[in-house]
Formats: sequence, structure tokens, C-alpha cells
Amino acid sequence: MSFYISTLLVYFFVDVLLAWALNLQFGWGGIPNFALIMFQAVGAYAAAVVSLGPDTGAGAFQRYVFGSDLPFPVPLLVATAAGGILALVVGMFALRRIRRDYQAAILLIVSLIAIQVVSNLVGLLNGSNGLTGVPKPLSGVLAGLTYDGYQWVYAAWAGLIALGVYLLVARLGGSAWGRALRAVRDNEDAAATIGLNPMGLRMQAFVIGGMIAGLSGGLLVDFLSAWSPAAWGYAETFAVFTAIILGGVGNNWGVVLGTLLVQVIFLQVPTFAPQVGYTGLIDALEWVLIGGLWLLCLAIRPRGLIPERRRTVAPPPGVAATLTPGPAAAAPSQGVSQ
Amino acid sequence: MPGAVLEVRDVSVRFGGVVAVRNTSLELREKEVVGLIGPNGAGKSSLLGALGGQLPVAGGQVWLGGHDITTAPPHRRARLGLARTFQLASTFDGLTVYENLLVSAAAARGSRLRDSLAGGRERRARLAAAADMTWSRLHEFGMAGAANRYGSELSGGQRRLVEIMRCLMQSPRVVLLDEPMVGVAPRLVQRIQEECARIRDSGVSIIIVEHALEVVQAVCDRVVVMASGAVVAQATYAEAMSSGAVREAYFA
Repeated sequence: MSFYISTLLVYFFVDVLLAWALNLQFGWGGIPNFALIMFQAVGAYAAAVVSLGPDTGAGAFQRYVFGSDLPFPVPLLVATAAGGILALVVGMFALRRIRRDYQAAILLIVSLIAIQVVSNLVGLLNGSNGLTGVPKPLSGVLAGLTYDGYQWVYAAWAGLIALGVYLLVARLGGSAWGRALRAVRDNEDAAATIGLNPMGLRMQAFVIGGMIAGLSGGLLVDFLSAWSPAAWGYAETFAVFTAIILGGVGNNWGVVLGTLLVQVIFLQVPTFAPQVGYTGLIDALEWVLIGGLWLLCLAIRPRGLIPERRRTVAPPPGVAATLTPGPAAAAPSQGVSQ
Repeated sequence: MPGAVLEVRDVSVRFGGVVAVRNTSLELREKEVVGLIGPNGAGKSSLLGALGGQLPVAGGQVWLGGHDITTAPPHRRARLGLARTFQLASTFDGLTVYENLLVSAAAARGSRLRDSLAGGRERRARLAAAADMTWSRLHEFGMAGAANRYGSELSGGQRRLVEIMRCLMQSPRVVLLDEPMVGVAPRLVQRIQEECARIRDSGVSIIIVEHALEVVQAVCDRVVVMASGAVVAQATYAEAMSSGAVREAYFA
């Protein structure tokens, strides 16, 4: 039971990182990043190859590029950088001034191409078998711990990273930069006419989100010790979208709640539960439920359980008398194609 | 020519094979309100798009106070003092009215990523100044009561006011207004007209595209009449009307 909970906790923190990354890109930046999981994958692969040691050549049991054995926590930094660099490259062509639904299509296609390339170009990242044997960080130093104890230390470490990322996204969201980003989301042309550079702001949000996603991948691969194309199917991206839409796009705590409900309860818990019916039935039903949940949210509660907070201000002293309250209801439109 | 803040020289705008604006020249002097009028399809909005940078210029040059902005992207033109509104009122719907203005006040410098992460006294002072400016603008336009409403919760006329206030937060030298009275209640039309005059008196030059000729008559120092992508007359409102150029443009 203790093992079960510590494992869930690590998954939860990793998924929360992804959700904050997507909330920054999609919730505030309006970028429909349908390739989100690819940025987690590049972080995972990057952290794996730089901690696995050199590839031993043609006869080795797994083949990959850039093999080296950098000490903890360098692989996590490499993972973060890899996510950012990939975002920069992909952003150059995916974030151009085109309609948002086209951006979404381009990003989804890029993600599908990437998984095919990685699966079939075996020399790159060991193809569809993926990489295994990624060393657990600090397992030498922490050798005195039981397996269970190590799990809990790792969960705490993941929680610490999540806290750090929360402080970052909370600061960004409330800043003048965050406001400018939301202005670009709402109306790109109008944002440009007040001197904001839409492409620049979007790219910054995309790269920061990519770095957070990359970091989450590094954190996950260190924990799992393995990574393969099976771990980053495009459906994973949609699970994160469902999570943030259910929880509340634009609200950091809303997306945490959404992650808890979708990623942990819907997706993770059944994998630890006993099998019912034929093999694969539960997995298949999970994805049906996720899809249904997304549609249900959009129909019933499109702003989510904890919607984006209205950033109200009090007038400076002396003008309170002129104020009349505005209506509390009604919502800003936040669809994919605005 | 001295006093010209915006100069348009021989500008053309094309959509594929269609020439929307043909070799058009005009200039806007300091503290001047120019009405751009003409029938639908005359090229008024295309010309405005070329000035604002939303449409590429196929030929000719645009100068803003000594800077050649012919190929500058919209945000750079804005930083040089060119503000505009759109035919469809374009508020930031997921931002409150207050934020709509604040984002504009801070746009030029305050919203850099580096500054937002760094913090510090100077940044706070700048934000406080922007907040003061926002409140005083809201009072000026009688919109302080709506400060916490989302853009999406406003009426058509209120959206126009927010758009115009947002322009002014930039302290622009030139403002381009594209049909600002469309969908606006008569009471607010009067308000916006008065605001135009007040803005002009504060030293800003305005080009206004407007179909309602009584509005043009009331606020414009001069009118430029366009037809079929070309300027057919430039004169005072009274002169243009008596010369028949306007009649010809609309009914030719």
C-alpha cells in the first residue's frame, strides 16, 4: 500500500507539471499544443541517454545517441533544456500567424511524425523497444534506504520540483507579462496595435512550457528507469487537455484538481486495480471515458470546476462612490478556435 | 512639408490580382482630424490596414514622424506612436476593462519576461504609475464603474470606449479609427464625438473612417474622398460637399 501511494504521488506531481505547462501555453497563451507529450518525451529521452553511459556499439542490447553518464541532477537540467530547444524549433513553424485550428493540426502531426521516427529509426533511441536501465538518481548515496523508503524520498523530491514550478507559473501568471500573453490570446491584432509582439510572447510561453514538460519527462524517466514510444502516444496529450479543461483552464489550482481527477483517479488507479474482463478492456474503457469526460465538460461546464479567476481591483480611495458592481456571471470565450 | 506626422506616398495595396488601393498619397498634420470617406469597396479599410501594418504595402512608402514604417510590423508602429481601432470592436474579452487598459499602459516596457521575473522597486513604481494612469483614464471616460467587468460583458458602445481608451494609454501621436460609430447607441456616438475633439486638442492626430456623414461633418477638419481605390478629393467637408466630389464618388 505504501508503495502504491508513493508511486501515485510521483505520477501526480509529474502530471501536474505537464498540466501547468499546458495551462501556460494554452490557458494563457492560447496555443493549442496538441504535441504536448512530445516535449515530455524529449526530456525523458534526453535525461535517459545522458545518464545511461556511452552506447557500446552495434552489438549492444540497446542503441542510442549522445550516451554519457552525467551525475545527478545534470540529466534533469539536460531534460529541461531539451524541452525548451525542441519548443523553439517547433515553434518557429507551428506558431506562425495562422488560424489556431491549423496550429493545432500542425502540432498534432508533428507529434505523430516524431513518434514514428523514433519508433523506426532504431539507432536513434532504440526504436519501439525504448530505453531501459536508466540509473536511479543518487541510488549510491541513498543505498541505506529500503526500496519503499527510496520511493518516498523520490516522491518528496518530485513534490519539491512541483513547488518550484508552481512558484514560477504563479509569478508569471500574475505578472505584466502574463497579462500581455492573455491579451495576445484574446486578440492578436489588437495586441499588436498596443505594441505587444504576438509572435515573441507566444514563443516565450511555448518555450517555457516546453522546458517544464521536458523537466517532467526527466523526472519521470529517472523514476521509471525506462522510456519507450508506448509512453507518449498522442492520447496522453488529450488526457492533459481533459484534465485542465475539467479543472479550469487558466487557473493553476483548477488544473491541479483536474489532474487529480483525470490523471490519477481515471488513468492511474485502474492500472493498479485487478483486471476485469479480457486483457486491455479496462485500458480501452479509460480512453472512452476520458473522451466522454472532455465532451461533457465542454457541454456542461466549459470553464471548468475552478474557473480562471477574475482579477478584480479596488479603485484608489476617493472614487469608490462612483462604482457599480458588474455582473458576476458570463465568461470569456476560451475555445480552441477563436 | 512641416507639421506632417503621417505621410503616405504613392501607396498601393493588392489582394492577389485585385488592386484595393492604387498609388494613393495623403498626409496628416499635427492636431488634425481627417475623415476618410467613400462608398463600400473604395479601399478605405485597406488603406488603414496598410497604415497600421495589418496589410502589406505593394508599393509606395509610409512615414511616421520621420521614420519609414512601410515594412514595420504592427507592434513596432505602435511603439512609434501609431494606434488604431478595428471595424469589429476588439477588446480583450478574457481581461477585465481595467486590465484591457493596464496591459496597454505597460505594453512598451513593463511586460518584458525578464522584468516580470526580476521584480524590484523600479518595476513596482512603473506598475503603480500605469495603474494611476488607468484609473484616471477610466474616470475621464466615465467607465470606472465597469473596471472589473470582462471585455465580453460589455455593450457594443462600451467596447468602443474601451478600445479608444486603450489606444490613448499608449500616448499615441496618430490614432486611426475604423468606423468607430458602428453598433454604438446614439448617446455614446455623441460621447465618442466629443472624445475625438478632446483627443485632438491634446495634440493627437486622427484619421477616421466613417459612413455617417453627420459625424464626419462634426469632428473632421478635412475629408479625403476615396473611390475605386484612389483618392478623388481632399478638401474641407463643406468644399467637398459643394464640389460634388462626394456625390460622384458614391453614385458614379
